[in-house]
Amino acid sequence: MNLITEAAKALRDIGKGMAVVSRAAEKGKHTNLYPFEMPEIPPVSCQSLALIIEADGTDRCVSCLACEKVCPSQVITIERTRNPEGKGFVLERFDIDLVNCMYCAACVEACPVSAIVTIQDFELSTYDLQTLKADKAFLDEQGRRAKQWYSPKLGVEYRNEQGEIQVAPLEQQPGGEAELLKQADKESDN
Amino acid sequence: MSIPAALMTGPTVLEPVVGKTDEMIVNLGPQHPATHGVLQIVLGVDGERVTRAVPHIGFLHRNHEKIEESRSYAQVIPYLDRMDYVSGLQNELPYCLAVEDLAGLEVPERAKYIRTAMFEFNRIISHLVWVGTYMLDLGAITPFLYAFRDREMALDIIERTTGGRMLPNYFTFGGVRRDVHPKFWQDLLDFLDYFEKVVPEYETLTVDAPVFQARSVGVGLLSQELAVNHGISGPNLRASGVAHDLRKDQPYDAYPELDFSVITRDEGDVWARSKVRMDEIYQSIDLIRQCAELAPRSGPYLARGRVKIEAGEQRYRAAEISRGQLGVYIHSDGGTGPYRSKHRSPSFVNLQIIPDLFIGQKFSDVIAILGSIDIVLGEVDR
Ligand code: SF4
Ligand code: SF4
Repeated sequence: MNLITEAAKALRDIGKGMAVVSRAAEKGKHTNLYPFEMPEIPPVSCQSLALIIEADGTDRCVSCLACEKVCPSQVITIERTRNPEGKGFVLERFDIDLVNCMYCAACVEACPVSAIVTIQDFELSTYDLQTLKADKAFLDEQGRRAKQWYSPKLGVEYRNEQGEIQVAPLEQQPGGEAELLKQADKESDN
Repeated sequence: MSIPAALMTGPTVLEPVVGKTDEMIVNLGPQHPATHGVLQIVLGVDGERVTRAVPHIGFLHRNHEKIEESRSYAQVIPYLDRMDYVSGLQNELPYCLAVEDLAGLEVPERAKYIRTAMFEFNRIISHLVWVGTYMLDLGAITPFLYAFRDREMALDIIERTTGGRMLPNYFTFGGVRRDVHPKFWQDLLDFLDYFEKVVPEYETLTVDAPVFQARSVGVGLLSQELAVNHGISGPNLRASGVAHDLRKDQPYDAYPELDFSVITRDEGDVWARSKVRMDEIYQSIDLIRQCAELAPRSGPYLARGRVKIEAGEQRYRAAEISRGQLGVYIHSDGGTGPYRSKHRSPSFVNLQIIPDLFIGQKFSDVIAILGSIDIVLGEVDR
């Protein structure tokens, strides 16, 4: 008798578990067929770093060394010389050791002109570690290839069809909600 | 079999139990999948009974505390994520609290709520990892798949605001690094609406399942006295009947305004520890909802200020992360970074209970007990 009740209880409880499993099976799939289906990555996501070149071909970077100083892993190396014609500096070398970089985005936050930005390109795997010792050409190329990028000062930006750089609308920006509310307040005051 | 004598020394080595069989030495780890990292436990077994247990740690040592001494205050924060990589956001908070105290920074109201909601959200993620991997250790693969399905959605929400998934580098002195995504609160609430319906499924598959109960009820008893004497914290302590929760006892950020009670159970066994974590998931859902309701939708998210700390100032702040009490002690010499920064990591302290819990238990219960303590080796070794 005892055995029968225990067996009945065990069957009932196993049935409960199986019910959960069958309900979950009805919900459909939750995985992506990478690399044929790419996952959707939010624009602020920090997967790699890039340098941005303006539409007219000039570097945004003004060689202020702020990023080099702030980097916790000390992987940024910048060499600059004084600009012979006029003020400012000429960038001689801009290296980031992406192997040892920990993608903390502290450099992006420190940059006063949003020249160094975070991008969503996460496919950095390579057979040769040396290719990840990124120089300026590599970082520029990353910036040219990126569909959109993020920096705290200017927010999410992207290149339009004409190659001009545009700032994404407020709805897509982090902090856009507070900003929109502020604007709505101002309008209701007027 | 020859095991170096040094491996078997320590205060926990007991006289082998005299029985019919010889004592055998078994190495659990350092590559055992149930150790969640690299932990070696040298076990002495006599038949089915464990006669000795000596944990060896340090395989994941990355020298965090020494590195922090050579970094500036702000540069330390990304390193903190890497201590307990399952709940990265939670690791940042005690350090930020300590530096805020020392530098006299006042956190804006809105930032407090964002931090609290993120903190609790990370607790859900951390407990999801625990439920998945623990059940995997015990031989149940299904909960693992469900837990990681939901964790993925939760990480997406964190990524949309912080830019990182496991290592977000988001909290900072005086608030948070950047404003939340415009749909942040709505995303959270939507996820919770979905998630609330899923947690009962986890319960069906874990704490309510007869197979799990047969393996957990009455196993690995941790008495109240032993837990307090060893400085155990977090769900392990509360499952032994001690109502100690720093969110209540030393409230920080927005916790004073939130309405919740400390979850405790009296049994002190593996099942109770699992049940407390399950209940904490429900509690976190409730706390995040309260945060979403109370949080101001506009206003500053960061109180900018210079971090200048006088020489000789020191501070200890602690927070209740998902594994227990994470404390940070900072000593300043007036420079730009901490002169000494010490972390009291809950996993490290909770791990010390292992010899006491293991000895005398059945060999097959070892993994059940080890998993129920919920350690993350990155935090043990730092
Ligand atoms: S992301 Fe962090 S570690 Fe990497 S280069 Fe920038 S500051 Fe340095
Ligand atoms: S902080 Fe910005 S502008 Fe200054 S050197 Fe770095 S990338 Fe260039």
